[in-house]
Amino acid sequence: NRHEQEQKLLASSTLYIGNLSFYTSEGQIHELFGRAGDVKRIVMGLDKVKKTPCGFCFVEYYTRSDAEVAIRYINGTRLDDRIIRTDWDTGFKEGRQYGRG
Amino acid sequence: KRRRIATDGGVDIEDRLESLITRVGEKSTSSLESNLEGLAGVLEADIPNYKHKIMKILCECVVKLPEKLTVYTTLVGLLNAKNYNCGGEFVEMLVRNLKEALKTGEFENARMMVRFLSDLVNCHVLVAASLIQMYDSFVEVTLEDNIPQVRSDIYVYLVLSSLPWVGRELYEKKEKELDAVLSTIDNYLSKRQKIHLPALKAWSNDGPHPQEEYLDCLWAQIKNLRNSKWIEKQLIRPYLAFDSVLCDALQHTLPQIIPPSHNKSMTYPLPRVVFRLFDYTDVPQGTVLPGSHAIERYLIEEQLNRIIHTNNLERKECAAALLGYPAKNKIPLNYMIVEVMFGQLFELPRSPYIDLFYGATFIELCKLQPTSMPEVLAQASEMLFERIETMHSICIERFVMWFSYHLSNFQYRWSWDDWAECVEMDPNAPKSKFVREVLLKCLRFSYHQRVSESVPDSFAPLLPPEPNPVYRYEQEGAGSLPGTTHAHKLISSIKSKCTPDEAAILLKDLPNQYPNGQENENPAFNPLKIDVFFATLLHLGSKSISHSFAALAKFHPNLKSLAEFDDGKVCLLKVLYETWKNNQQMMVVLVDKLLRTEVVDCSSVANWLFSFEMQHDFTSFYVWEIMHSTIKKMSRHVDQLQHEVDEAHDKQEAVKRKEADGLDLGDEDVPSDEAIERMEEKLEAATSAQKNLFLVIFQRFMIVLTEHLARCESASVDYNTPWFKWVIERLQQVFLVHHELVYRYVSTLELLLFTSDIDIHILEVFQQFCALRS
Repeated sequence: NRHEQEQKLLASSTLYIGNLSFYTSEGQIHELFGRAGDVKRIVMGLDKVKKTPCGFCFVEYYTRSDAEVAIRYINGTRLDDRIIRTDWDTGFKEGRQYGRG
Repeated sequence: KRRRIATDGGVDIEDRLESLITRVGEKSTSSLESNLEGLAGVLEADIPNYKHKIMKILCECVVKLPEKLTVYTTLVGLLNAKNYNCGGEFVEMLVRNLKEALKTGEFENARMMVRFLSDLVNCHVLVAASLIQMYDSFVEVTLEDNIPQVRSDIYVYLVLSSLPWVGRELYEKKEKELDAVLSTIDNYLSKRQKIHLPALKAWSNDGPHPQEEYLDCLWAQIKNLRNSKWIEKQLIRPYLAFDSVLCDALQHTLPQIIPPSHNKSMTYPLPRVVFRLFDYTDVPQGTVLPGSHAIERYLIEEQLNRIIHTNNLERKECAAALLGYPAKNKIPLNYMIVEVMFGQLFELPRSPYIDLFYGATFIELCKLQPTSMPEVLAQASEMLFERIETMHSICIERFVMWFSYHLSNFQYRWSWDDWAECVEMDPNAPKSKFVREVLLKCLRFSYHQRVSESVPDSFAPLLPPEPNPVYRYEQEGAGSLPGTTHAHKLISSIKSKCTPDEAAILLKDLPNQYPNGQENENPAFNPLKIDVFFATLLHLGSKSISHSFAALAKFHPNLKSLAEFDDGKVCLLKVLYETWKNNQQMMVVLVDKLLRTEVVDCSSVANWLFSFEMQHDFTSFYVWEIMHSTIKKMSRHVDQLQHEVDEAHDKQEAVKRKEADGLDLGDEDVPSDEAIERMEEKLEAATSAQKNLFLVIFQRFMIVLTEHLARCESASVDYNTPWFKWVIERLQQVFLVHHELVYRYVSTLELLLFTSDIDIHILEVFQQFCALRS
């Protein structure tokens, strides 16, 4: 339901990161996003079939305010020479890491 | 919400008034003067019905839009000329707000109000003599006994920072009285203590530009202004155009404003040092950078700082606003922006905003002015690098953080060849250390091949090793190690998904030895067991951070029991180091995880970082990254518990009030006395752990520093080595970065550690810290 979805986004401390290079590692993501605050975990987006990174990930912070800092200062800057995009996400659930094959 | 309650159009009109007032002075097709005249006319008509609202909006503009201060003083001047009572009521309200701000310690707001009142003298709203009276009562604070210097400082600052606006008018009308105020200030400033100064300077020496204390610098600027008969060229003064209207207005007398007396709970702003990077010779011809003691330098810097303050949440707007600075054609704006931004980034004890803000905003500035901004930034980076030998370690660290981040956004392109001298230097020499640490950070942002291809071949000795894990039980010669058989069994069990219990049983018969076979006589921990188990676990999870986390989570009970006591915890951390010594990020991330899952505790991390095994990494930046993140976690934990206790108390009291009023409480969740007591016990335990952590850290510092000094003395060599600089400034960093916290324990520290018999070099650091608030 749409309303619930919106409420979840407003309370979330998880970000969806897009336009990553397929070769960008968790460590690289951690270095950049760790500069905005304490990162709780990173879940790499994987190709459904090949189970290899496919250009997106989820970054979960311990606090909402750190996630806000990341959106504010990291969205639209470069990681691994690619301009990355950050968006709020409702929170990672098992299975969501698989992108289009 | 308010709109729904309103039954007439009142609220709409109030909103319209607010929008009209707050937007005056923004870019517009007609002149500022005609906009002001028009607005004054509109407001005059609305005053009978909306006087209070209009006054309130104006008072908010005083503190929230100080960049348009003279626009609003002119507006108030015009209103006062039309309606004398209205001017009086505005002054009354502003004075009330000022008194409140002084009482509650909102000194920055107070400063804007004092400046506004000062400029109202120019607009014929206030009598000059009454302003002088206020100044008098402010500078009299300098004569009070038994007050901290920071108190008298701030009152002097309130006066000094208003003088560029009203100096000329006071000079013309009340010269003698103004002179008296200035001489009190002069007297005060010449006698001030400046013990704190070395703790706040970005550079320890004064070449090429002195790094001055903020009041000394402003005083020099004001003296220059006075010498030029109080004429400055920076401020826009719209009221000059209305002279004929304003000069006929009746003036008000400021009521007496006495500073509220000092009390112990009042926090005054900390002193600052003015950051100087450039002078006019650094700037290409065409525009002139005002000298460091020109009042224009102060005024422009303050306005740029203000733009950053207003826009710090929106990096793009911030960059655009900085580059859109009104007087941009007269000054080398890019240089001033870069200096102000670095001034904030290198501000001690802490930068006003998160490091990332400065990095992200510099990127936007470069995008908006791709032909000139990168050049100025490169020039600044060169200069910072050239002056790095005397730069404070905290600032060098921030420089590393920013520079590596900036490079990561610009394809790691840099004229590295110019810095080739570092290759030959002592690895602890600041220049060499800087380049090494930058490359380490670049490695974290990218990958080893990328970093090594970005620098000249000659930089090979400065490059970090490949960040791979080390696992001794699969290395050549592992066969002869006492733990190898167990380690190999453990690998296959974990791979076939054994339970934590099964893994524990597998290690049961390992003797209490060190991994090299040496006996361990301490029954509290088994180093061989810890090594076999933890090294194997880390090895199997080494593919990524997530894999490591999963391994730690699954075998959490094993880690908890292996490292039940302090020695075991330190031993565990040493195994982590042995495994990941070539990958600092993994160490940082995994220590964080071990702390959060309570496998190790904060003081064991501190003890580990100071241990013999870590000595050769002791000046590496990652060690201090871990140290400070550990202190921060500890303090967050204490804050969290404090918050819970406060909340429980509030809830209980609220319920008691309701009960007393005879309200039916229903099934409200009331914390019991026992529950609160338990929470308080937890808080107390955490607070004492925090205090203990600081004691451990300071004590260990004292030991390593004293040993170094004694060693140098007995060998009759200079103690002031690069190592000493890094370590003593790291000690300073613990004081500065966590200054509010450390200050809570200052008397314990003075009593137990920083006693008068310790070496003066160490004691000085403590004294400088104390002087920050004295």
